[in-house]
Amino acid sequence: MAFYESIIIIRQDVSSTEVDKIANDLAQIIESHEGKVIKTEYWGLRQLAYEINNNKKGHYYFMGIEATKPLLDEIDRKLKLSESVIRSSLIRVDEISKNPSPILGTKNLDEGETVDVTTNKKPAK
Amino acid sequence: MFFTKSKGCPLFSASTPAIDYKNPTLLEKFISDGGRMLPSRITNVCAKHQRSLGKAIKHSRVIALLPFVSLGR
Repeated sequence: MAFYESIIIIRQDVSSTEVDKIANDLAQIIESHEGKVIKTEYWGLRQLAYEINNNKKGHYYFMGIEATKPLLDEIDRKLKLSESVIRSSLIRVDEISKNPSPILGTKNLDEGETVDVTTNKKPAK
Repeated sequence: MFFTKSKGCPLFSASTPAIDYKNPTLLEKFISDGGRMLPSRITNVCAKHQRSLGKAIKHSRVIALLPFVSLGR
């Protein structure tokens, strides 16, 4: 068993309850194949750096999992079949850090409140 | 856009976070305005860190946290 980090990007017009449903389905598959979900994070609706299938934004969902090869194949197959998932990545890591991902510390653009982005941009340059 | 000459690799100091493909704010400092990776001779990053930076930037591009190329809006 090895540790993997999985990030899935879900279309912007999918509601957040459906995002949860997709994530739960995925978690169920993992549990049924004797894998383990170690960490989950929802990064919110983020601006994509480039358009993917005419989507400018996407829901980011992060999962840290412990899995075997057959399980990875199954996850990959499921994600490719799903029409709501526009991009997914599975990356092997040595360990999954317990701290929240650094991306959660930076402000999400869609959190509702207006944050002056110019002030926290490029302080070192 | 240029970096002032500093002594040694900027990623060795304790205050900088670890290189991580999930941290676009850190990686943004090592790509040009057009989205290309900056050479280490400009950023002063040591060879070891430059290798892991390269990997992190490429991972980050795949999940659309960083652009492959940005033309400006």
